[in-house]
Amino acid sequence: MVLLVVVVAYGLASFGTTEAIPTNLGPFLFWMVGLGAVAHLVTRRFAPAADPVLLPLALLLNGIGYVVITRLDGGLAALQSTWTAVGVAGYVATLTLLPRVRVIVQYRYLLGLAGFGLLVIPLVPGVGAEINGARIWARLGPVSFQPGEFAKLALAAFFAAYLVDSREVMRNRLELRDLAPIGLAWVGSLGVMVLERDLGSSLLFFALFVVVLWVATERWEVLATGGVLFVGGALMAWSLFSHVQQRVDIWLDPFADPKGRGFQIVEASFALADGGLTGVGLGQGSPGRIPYASTDFIFAAVGEELGLAGSVAILSIFVLLVGSGLRIALGSDRVFEKLFALGLTTLIGVQAFVIIGGVLRVVPLTGITLPFVSYGGSSLVTNYVLLGLLVRLSHEQRTATRRHGEPE
Amino acid sequence: MNRRIRQLGVVLLGLYLVLFVQLNRVQFFDAESLIENANNSRGLISEFGRTRGSIVTADGVLVAHSVPYDGSVDFRREYPEGERYAHIAGYQSVNVAATGLERSYNDELAGDLIDQRFLSLGDLFVERDTTASLHLTILDRVQRVAATELGDRKGSVVALDPRSGEILALWTSPSFDPNLLADPNGSAATGAYEALLADENQPLLAKSYREVFFPGSTFKLVTAAAGIESGIISPASPQFPDSSGYTPLPSGATLKNFGGSTCGGDLVEILRVSCNTAFAEMGAEWVGPTGMVAAAEAFGFNRGPGIDLPAAATSRFPTEFGRELADVAFYRAQDPAVTLPNGSVPIYENSAALAQMSIGQNDVAATPLQMAMVAGAIANDGRVMEPHVVKELRAADGSLYDTVEPKVTRVAIQSSTAAILRDAMRVVVDQGTARNLQTPGLVVGGKTGTAQLGTSPANSHAWIVGYAGRPGEEPSLAFAVIVEAQEGASEQTGGRVAAPIARAVIEAVFAP
Repeated sequence: MVLLVVVVAYGLASFGTTEAIPTNLGPFLFWMVGLGAVAHLVTRRFAPAADPVLLPLALLLNGIGYVVITRLDGGLAALQSTWTAVGVAGYVATLTLLPRVRVIVQYRYLLGLAGFGLLVIPLVPGVGAEINGARIWARLGPVSFQPGEFAKLALAAFFAAYLVDSREVMRNRLELRDLAPIGLAWVGSLGVMVLERDLGSSLLFFALFVVVLWVATERWEVLATGGVLFVGGALMAWSLFSHVQQRVDIWLDPFADPKGRGFQIVEASFALADGGLTGVGLGQGSPGRIPYASTDFIFAAVGEELGLAGSVAILSIFVLLVGSGLRIALGSDRVFEKLFALGLTTLIGVQAFVIIGGVLRVVPLTGITLPFVSYGGSSLVTNYVLLGLLVRLSHEQRTATRRHGEPE
Repeated sequence: MNRRIRQLGVVLLGLYLVLFVQLNRVQFFDAESLIENANNSRGLISEFGRTRGSIVTADGVLVAHSVPYDGSVDFRREYPEGERYAHIAGYQSVNVAATGLERSYNDELAGDLIDQRFLSLGDLFVERDTTASLHLTILDRVQRVAATELGDRKGSVVALDPRSGEILALWTSPSFDPNLLADPNGSAATGAYEALLADENQPLLAKSYREVFFPGSTFKLVTAAAGIESGIISPASPQFPDSSGYTPLPSGATLKNFGGSTCGGDLVEILRVSCNTAFAEMGAEWVGPTGMVAAAEAFGFNRGPGIDLPAAATSRFPTEFGRELADVAFYRAQDPAVTLPNGSVPIYENSAALAQMSIGQNDVAATPLQMAMVAGAIANDGRVMEPHVVKELRAADGSLYDTVEPKVTRVAIQSSTAAILRDAMRVVVDQGTARNLQTPGLVVGGKTGTAQLGTSPANSHAWIVGYAGRPGEEPSLAFAVIVEAQEGASEQTGGRVAAPIARAVIEAVFAP
């Protein structure tokens, strides 16, 4: 069903831009349907009990994103289809190679180290590279990627595993030194922001850590401290860095400089307004006017061509994904699985909120990708692996539930 | 922990709800204002990204069409006849606001109207050419003659069918080449626009319907109509005494006839020789402010022409004449030196100005279109028809989309009044100042005008207005011609300068 929607949309988009049935519909069908089918079959074989909505939701997001990217830039679309294949391969590998999520607990410090390492790779001279003002890229031969994307997964696993041990202690007697890890995470996040100029990831890491720690300890103090530190960090960043001030200024009044600094946001608003309720139609709009329409601003492109109907659909899919992820966390009776599922869900939910909110001017813009929808290899592959982990967790949770009856 | 997870779920749901609300604002509630935001060039880009209906004259000459363009936009507007239709079709430009029909019929040309876009359910799914082409009432052969005859002189020619309001020619010289402004290169278009804007001859201004002039003696038709309608003036009476000067009441400089001549007589006679003293007296002392304002407004002064072109100027006739002072008899008794008045209306503070207005001077101002409409109402038994240049709109497949039906704007004068004026105007052509209009085989009536500009050396606008028709038929042509700022100030100027142009137009319209 999802595949059918995507294929029809692809046909329409191509028809809209070129007024011809796309000649590459065949290969596209084969590729998209084939990948979807493979992912589905692997899921049936290796995680048959998993929540059946997870994969289709991701495929739908991926498909819509792919259609819009195709419509924006055929060259990027070709790359994106390759990344989709790699992503699905990552998904398949996760499901096949990881029979139980629990096994990664023993590697927790390794994962923490790896996460930190991945984060700092872009800062290493020779390997790291700065693209579009953010130093979040690493170059290995011909391939550039964003190690920070993979770091998210490693850190989510590390946080969850680390808190399995320490949560009991913290839960009963929260001392100042127990809050030290929050401070550490805060410093780390600030480091990412200052050294790599990546506001989005910085915010994401901090949110991930505070949420997981808060749920694990069940203490409001964590949330309060996190909030205070966040506000403090934000204020500090605002007063110290001109690029942060600029982001805030644009957020407050993009029309102050509509042809300059506010151009992207202003054009995105115009695109969304053009879309109206039902959109101008796939291939009929001009989302290419928005800078970075295929990555950070893909949501505006969707909103223009598919209208409020399409953009609300995207929102709903993320709500469903988050809901499904939180259900896994709720249902898991083991702490690690619970916290890991929670962390992964938080990553997707917060990331989508931050970028959509940025495009809609609900929050200041921070350049990160819209999971599964935006163009971007690192992001897509990471998110497919993340999805694989969630599916695996879901399968485990449901089989456990079946065995032991409803937990709680 | 599960309680916290549920709380987190609520928080996240709340955040997404905020997104949902904001999305509704941007895409629905605020969409209109965003689309109309001055910084939003999306509409313009999409406008030039698709084809647009063409504009064609009644005799099939292509005036405007879209041609594919290889560059910043997909289509550009082309105006094959250049400046001849610049003031009618206007232009559609990337950098300059559109004018003319390109503006007033923008939605129809672009095919944006709901009933153009959605004729059937299938239109939801199939992209169809929804544009409409405009078919004009303009006859290129008349428009061409108007342009040729006026030549390099500044002026305007308006020819219309008085029975329907269909405009047959609408020409103003100087004009401009709209292709310069339709240049897809925005800075080239802006440059051309600024150069044209700086030109002191105002080529961008369609003076035929967007600029007002002293109508001069052509306005005597309105004064005469006011007199007849008021019931005081008829072809037989009164007889205006021969006079060479009229000193207006309550006070003012004496009005003279052209060349200091002496004239007087009945209505037909004073119209034939365009007698200033008689018409000044008629307006100020026989008809008075109320009747003059009513007649002028009945013809369309102070109301606007209602033409289907944008930014048309409203012709002007003042409505404030101050306090009522006394009746004419009072002045007669006070100062025997005052020209003996014949009328009986009260004298107002500004009656002297009214005397000047009655011969088309002072604060009276009319567009050439308005004067053609005055002649048209007289030709059409008193009915003012809504003037229009678009006859019908056709869809891309050639089918009729819409027709502009003739519409009576108002009845300006009774048909008996119109008949009297038509006859008097024939005398002006047969034996008076408009002899240059005489056209064999046609019934022609006219009135000249020489609106003095008070300059030194003397300059004036040369006017001619009138009607023409085949014998035994209703007149099918009404016209107004103005040639601006001609040397000289005699009443002969209008007949000498403007009438030959009108005659060429008459011949073009009635060409076999």
